[in-house]
Amino acid sequence: MKEVMLDCLGEACPVPLIKAENALKEIEAGDLLIVQIDHSCAMKNVPEWARKNGHNVEIEEVDDGEWEVVIEKV
Amino acid sequence: MAEAQSAQSIRRSSRAGSSRKPKKNMIPHATVLIILLVAFAAYLITKDAQVALFWMTGACFGFILQRSRFCFTASMRDPYLTGSTSVTRAVLIAFAMTTIGFTAIKYGYYVNGLPIPGQSYIAPISFATAIGAFMFGIGMVIAGGCASGTLMRVGEGFVMNVLTLGFFILGSLLGAYHFGWWKLNFILKGKAVFLPDIFGWVGGLLVNLLIIATLYILADKWENRKSQSEN
Repeated sequence: MKEVMLDCLGEACPVPLIKAENALKEIEAGDLLIVQIDHSCAMKNVPEWARKNGHNVEIEEVDDGEWEVVIEKV
Repeated sequence: MAEAQSAQSIRRSSRAGSSRKPKKNMIPHATVLIILLVAFAAYLITKDAQVALFWMTGACFGFILQRSRFCFTASMRDPYLTGSTSVTRAVLIAFAMTTIGFTAIKYGYYVNGLPIPGQSYIAPISFATAIGAFMFGIGMVIAGGCASGTLMRVGEGFVMNVLTLGFFILGSLLGAYHFGWWKLNFILKGKAVFLPDIFGWVGGLLVNLLIIATLYILADKWENRKSQSEN
């Protein structure tokens, strides 16, 4: 199992979403993609997109206004 | 948050990059801020009650906008980008509610024989509207926020939107400066439509709600169509 960190800090919506879409294509099923974001809008659309495509999603607020969206590719 | 608890099934082998800092308690900060907000409102009432009302409603609106992650940009952009129309439908519901609300206010003035408020906002439709909307759409997606979204994110402390705010002010000033020319040459050549004049009060309300309902159904269909083709 591999873990890929994707640094999207300081990136405004929809850049984190597009980066996550591309990064998720690169990894194998069962691998984790961890998207680091600090844009509140990406907090909504990244998990929503990943869930819609059937992946497991977990959100962690690592600091005030800073989140890690953990996506497990199915 | 409920979301974090429900999905604890993902096990992470490492905690690389996420050195968890203990979070500061923000309640004292919030309390001080609310006291300052109300104190400034109390000061404004002594000057101008209307400005005080705008100050408080503006602060409340900003808070709701931030907490609900309501985003007009996302409502227009996400259907193309992700096929999700949840924000689009939320905006449509908000439009439907405001339609009922402002029709009620206007009708209330009308039946009492008073001048209807807000009639000066009924602007003629012209190509300027469509072209302007198109340009605004491009701008708001690149900037990562519409007008209210930009203001809300500046408050959140998102640095990129501070840059957006600077150019937002610059653009607004330029727009206001040249508005007279546009109004004279393009906007006034269009036709202003006030739906109750054509369909009557009930008819106008129903036509507006029908258009919103149609868009809502289309948005719902779009979301399901997209997810079926992808899976």
